[in-house]
Amino acid sequence: MVLPPVAVIAVFIGFPVVAAIAYTLGRAGGPNSVVASLGQRQFIVQHGVTLDAYRDVLSNDTIHRDLWATIWVTIVSTLVVVVVSWAIALYLRLADTRLARIVSALSVVPLFIPVVIASYAILTFYASDGFMRTIAYHLGWNGFPTLGFTLTCVVLAEIWVNIPFGVLMMSSGLNGVPNNLIEAARDSGASMPRVVRSILLPMNVIPTVIVGTFTAIYVLGSFTVPYLTGPTAPNLLGPTMSNFFSAFNQPQQAEVLAIVVFVFALGIGAVYVWANVRTGKRSSVAQ
Amino acid sequence: MKRKHLGAIVVLALAVVLASVAAASSAATKRQAKTDTIVLYASGDVNVQSLWQQYIIPGFEKKNKNIKVKFIFSEHGVNDTTTLARIGAAVKQRKWPGIDLVDAGLVTTLATDGLTQPVTKATAPNIKNVDQTLLTPVKGAAIPYRGSSVVLAYDSKNVPTPPKSLGALLAWIKAHPGKFTYNSPNSGGSGYSFAETVVDSTIPANILKQMQTGYVPNLESYWKQGFDTLHSLNQYVYQGVYPNGNAAVLDLLGKGQIWVAPVWSDQSLTALKTGQLPASVHLTQIASPSFTGGAAYLGVPKSARHKVDVYKFVDYVLSPAAQTQIINVMAGFPAIPLKLMPKAIQNKFADVSANSLRPTYAQKQQSDFKAQWQQIVP
Repeated sequence: MVLPPVAVIAVFIGFPVVAAIAYTLGRAGGPNSVVASLGQRQFIVQHGVTLDAYRDVLSNDTIHRDLWATIWVTIVSTLVVVVVSWAIALYLRLADTRLARIVSALSVVPLFIPVVIASYAILTFYASDGFMRTIAYHLGWNGFPTLGFTLTCVVLAEIWVNIPFGVLMMSSGLNGVPNNLIEAARDSGASMPRVVRSILLPMNVIPTVIVGTFTAIYVLGSFTVPYLTGPTAPNLLGPTMSNFFSAFNQPQQAEVLAIVVFVFALGIGAVYVWANVRTGKRSSVAQ
Repeated sequence: MKRKHLGAIVVLALAVVLASVAAASSAATKRQAKTDTIVLYASGDVNVQSLWQQYIIPGFEKKNKNIKVKFIFSEHGVNDTTTLARIGAAVKQRKWPGIDLVDAGLVTTLATDGLTQPVTKATAPNIKNVDQTLLTPVKGAAIPYRGSSVVLAYDSKNVPTPPKSLGALLAWIKAHPGKFTYNSPNSGGSGYSFAETVVDSTIPANILKQMQTGYVPNLESYWKQGFDTLHSLNQYVYQGVYPNGNAAVLDLLGKGQIWVAPVWSDQSLTALKTGQLPASVHLTQIASPSFTGGAAYLGVPKSARHKVDVYKFVDYVLSPAAQTQIINVMAGFPAIPLKLMPKAIQNKFADVSANSLRPTYAQKQQSDFKAQWQQIVP
């Protein structure tokens, strides 16, 4: 029963990944022969492997700057998404008012808007003649910064795109906390901040880790948002990879970058797995 | 009892379906003996799509009843890389790639890598009319069928007298900070043309010729001075940003954020027609040197089927009738000499002849140019 899915994964994901890794290590035979016959600036060996392609990419100053921009944008966006979606979900959990329901509905809206449209809208919103600057100007503030085509704009757009998933995840986690636990704590005289710290926070660790890791992996590999709203340089690795692959005709370097991003994502994924295993152990001990 | 019935019905139904499929396919093969189908792959903006779909293909099929043209369109060339790999792999194995004729940027790559039929093998009489110099950058393995050029767009409301030469343009950019930009060369041809034109203006003619006709990486040191000039423009360019894509620059121009920019002639004329650009935006060409222009090429993969029919189609595309449609729909340049075109078209191009398109670098040289621009300029 398990065999067909495993075979599909092996053929459609495993095999291309192995071929791509072999190509980055300088092997251009077999499935890589077509791409190698068209690419430029390749480092090919007939026997053994070479790390020259990795050296070429990692010694490139432009890529250093792009790499740092990617890391910086990923960290900031992830932190903000986690904090904001926590705050919205908590508000929804504790205040069952009409306003809370409106907020919850609004926070999920970005889920239904295509990323391309959202990116373009955000770019126009923060442009030098955009909505924000116009409002600020009418309020008498001439110095509102033009954020269009900056990394700040990329961060804002990434947050906008990722908030719905965060809110949905956190809300379902917080809704899973039984009411009687909160009421019991309140009855024993615990303040609301204390309830949040000692009950809601520890019982919502897994959703928090999921939101954090998934948002980070999404931002790390994002293309549309930085391509449309970001500066020319430095920008995120998504557009850089695409440049190397098509415009510069350097597929080997593009695949090296893909593997660098993959290694980062692997590190983030490890956090997720570790958190799951830890909780799994704890719940099995509790039983 | 019911079970048995059900089984019988299923078997019967299967038999009927199989029989009808067999009948249909045998009918199809019979019909195919009379009618050939050639497959055309094109990529680009919607104007390319409507050119083929509404004008050229119906016109051709009306004249050639026994040839059908199947049209595959890839908007903005999103499938170009996959198609390139697919044709590459198929030609290497001498198998049919599923495509008989290609109209896309990838044709130049296919041609220079020897994956398309050389023009000398083409059985289309009209090919001899095509400007032979346009065959050099593609090693004679692709057929130019229309031209388009990069021009300077300016908003006449704010810029009554546009710069006439490259030197004047550079001076204008420095005198009007934030009112000019061009798209990053790796994201579109109009920005690429501006960057290459600035760099070309500092390179001796014989060196330039070599880079236009072949891939000579050791001449790239000549680019240094031009790239330095481009780098020095950073502080004068709109927000220090080179937006991604030809359309992003048109967008800034249309909103009045910038006043002057290099744009594609066909794309901006279409934008003027649809109102994406206000009527106050005018187009002009600069001198010494002019912006580069280029031809759009058709390529026939070496393992294409029905080559005789394909070349019949190519011959039709290069006929004065079809070329007139191309000029009207795409606002492009004809690929055949003006003297073969109708009088009205001849008058339209009295000033700019298609043959005066300034050639651009060979494909691989362009890739290196884009990579170095990204390293040095922004």
